[in-house]
Amino acid sequence: MTPLLAVRGLSKSFPGVQALANVSLEFNRGTIHGLVGENGAGKSTLIKLVTGLETPDRGEIRLDGQPVRFRNWREAQARGIALVGQEIQVVPESSITENVLLDRLATRGPLRRVDWPAMNREAERFVRSVGLDLPVTTPVKGLSAGQKQLVRIAKTLAARARLVFLDEPTSSLTEHEAGQLLGLLRELRSQGVTVLYVSHKLEEVFAVCDEVSVLRDGQHVGTRAVAGLTKAELVAAMIGREAREERLGRLPVDRGCELLRAERLTRRGKVSEVSFALHRGEILGFYGLVGSGRTETARLLIGDDCPDSGAVFVRGRQIALHSVRDSLRRCRMGYVTENRKEEGLFLAASVGTNIALTVWDRMVQRWTRRISPTAEREVGQRHVAALDIKCAGLDEPAGNLSGGNQQKICLAKWLAADCDILLIDEPTVGVDIGAKEHLHRLIWELAAQQGKAIILISSDMPEIIKLASRILVFRDQRIAGEVPDVDAPGRTYADISAAIGRYLN
Amino acid sequence: MNSTLANAPTATPRRICQRPGAGEWFNGRTNGLILSFTVLFCVLALESPTFLSGYTLFVLSRQVAFCVLIALAQAVCLVVGGMNLSVGAIGSMTTVVLGLCLDSVHLSPWLAVPAALAFGALSGWLNGALITRLKLDSFVITLSMMFIYMGLRSGVSGGQPYRVPESFTFAGQRAFLGIPWVFVLASGLLAAMAYLFRWTVFGRRLLATGGNADAARLSGIDTARMVVAANVLSGLFAALAAVLWASQLGSAAPETGDTWLIVSFAVAIIGGTGLSGGVISAFGLFMGAAIFMLIKHGLVELKANPYFANAFLGTLILLAVVVDRVREMYLERRLPAEKLAPPANP
Repeated sequence: MTPLLAVRGLSKSFPGVQALANVSLEFNRGTIHGLVGENGAGKSTLIKLVTGLETPDRGEIRLDGQPVRFRNWREAQARGIALVGQEIQVVPESSITENVLLDRLATRGPLRRVDWPAMNREAERFVRSVGLDLPVTTPVKGLSAGQKQLVRIAKTLAARARLVFLDEPTSSLTEHEAGQLLGLLRELRSQGVTVLYVSHKLEEVFAVCDEVSVLRDGQHVGTRAVAGLTKAELVAAMIGREAREERLGRLPVDRGCELLRAERLTRRGKVSEVSFALHRGEILGFYGLVGSGRTETARLLIGDDCPDSGAVFVRGRQIALHSVRDSLRRCRMGYVTENRKEEGLFLAASVGTNIALTVWDRMVQRWTRRISPTAEREVGQRHVAALDIKCAGLDEPAGNLSGGNQQKICLAKWLAADCDILLIDEPTVGVDIGAKEHLHRLIWELAAQQGKAIILISSDMPEIIKLASRILVFRDQRIAGEVPDVDAPGRTYADISAAIGRYLN
Repeated sequence: MNSTLANAPTATPRRICQRPGAGEWFNGRTNGLILSFTVLFCVLALESPTFLSGYTLFVLSRQVAFCVLIALAQAVCLVVGGMNLSVGAIGSMTTVVLGLCLDSVHLSPWLAVPAALAFGALSGWLNGALITRLKLDSFVITLSMMFIYMGLRSGVSGGQPYRVPESFTFAGQRAFLGIPWVFVLASGLLAAMAYLFRWTVFGRRLLATGGNADAARLSGIDTARMVVAANVLSGLFAALAAVLWASQLGSAAPETGDTWLIVSFAVAIIGGTGLSGGVISAFGLFMGAAIFMLIKHGLVELKANPYFANAFLGTLILLAVVVDRVREMYLERRLPAEKLAPPANP
């Protein structure tokens, strides 16, 4: 029997990144096929290519053995493909019926009036079959996240989908709701629907999938039947790449000088019971998947969010921070955000402004109250030189620079303010290889030579193993475990990634 | 990194007006404003025999000054990424407060004027505090405040103007070396604003807040305080305009600010204030006000049907926005294509 969907030699690259390289996969009828991999492994890209949201550079897609090329999402939909994404897209003000039958409103009469009774009856069938026990005229906005997700699945049923893509459908659901959803997937399978299930939660993959495929760095690592597969094997396949990065050496951590300590830091729904200490000259890695509580912890530490309980100690003194301004002024603590364009930079403003804005108040001239232009240029030039920022001059708008140089500007503004505690969130996302190496060395030298205490948040395992001297593994909003002495001589990449992998499942 | 040359853009695109840290006074936009102003001025001077008379110029420059003040009240809010729909209502209410102080309580102008200005600043502070505390859109807050003040001023005044003492009309009616005091004041204020936004920490933090509020907050700028401060300034400028208007008129008329809302947006937009925040130009505001008044004057000279006046104004605003957009699109096309980030896997 030909597989329902087969992709062969599928490749897609974005500027600077090979998102998917020569991937061949087959999805058999009436199965639930799991797709797993780290962030950036190419899972979403694969789904986008198959559903027509993006066009592949190379390779072919066969549906029912016939080559197809969808130019957009509607064409894929017409062939019985449906997608349920992780963000729950519903029309909040409309009723369940409208959401389920949005693209197939039944009309009657010469005025093409919407035939509500008929539609409600029709929607009722699908809504009941996903196990949602609510009147179909209920507005969707009052429903829980899980119920909304069920509405979305009812919609795919109404569209008579034969192939359903689920991209992290349970990421915003409670455990009970997630369980219900998995039950529904088995139900769909028994009706002959093929499901492609993307998830970070390996438990779910083992609970519901028949087969599982692993992607890593845009390449297909392998496909196995779930029966007989162990979780350790799967994790090894996901993260176990060869140690192709050189090590930078051992960091001279000053254990006697603790700069930052968190004790049982908790924020409901985001972070629970996080405790750790950070020392001078140390790079502490926060490894975990998106949403595991790493960035959320960083936001608590710098005062952008307030903890419900727990304490933060900076240089030995307990301190309550209420804003980033506080953490900058009182603690000399800086935070390099994960999305530099949205939260890190003023794209239309000059490089000089972007670097110096944290220290404007230190360069005010006495009588005129104006920011000394010479002082501002001096600060800008010093950091452009120190971090080797490539720009046409300090007046160049930051938006013109490449990703790596923009990232250096984000770092420079905290160095200009003499911060000796730095929280750096995903520093090399969207940065090309050469700039990535440069940023790595830069971050490492900040710790090694200037004694900065750095928290490095990253989903990139080679990066975190290369740089960190200690790694905290985050899972489900808490610290699942600690991997010490990452930079000790004799420890191999495989050894450390296995240690991290143990805490991930 | 090794791809130095590939990443260095060949030409720096010219910035439009004052952004955080921008250093230039004149650019494509201001040149366009100067050109339109010159053309309008010459046409009027040639076609209208009375235009170059001292009296016409005196009256026009005074009206330009009022436009500048009203537009400033709007522009400081636009700069932080908000807006103030209640500029006119604050102006009207300030006039009533001023009238009450002068006419009913018989306070000296030396006390009544500070009281009126304080009222303006206070109502601006209230706007700002509501916006930042309730984390609500400035549109909703200032819209409701506009109606509150308009209702209050009608209720309190009963629609009747208040009398003001003779001495109070000095600032509004007299001149300094032939230049109306109002114009001198407005120009001074505009210069101070230019200084503020170009050189001071406060001004540049205001610009940064409007440029990217998230980045500003995460770079240690107290963005809530900046929004409140901008609204206080806005209220203060509206109140100042109202006080001067009463001084010019020789009475405190409660309907003072009724036409200000449109004018404030029109002049600010023509003057190149960014509607999404982070961009202001003091010089642009001045030119915007001048062009605005010249066109209004021209319409009078042409004996255009005054009932159509608003249609002309609307067309003018639309034109200003379109011209700006076209130039931006042109500049964007000259920028190097932005590097795409790889699709982040969920």
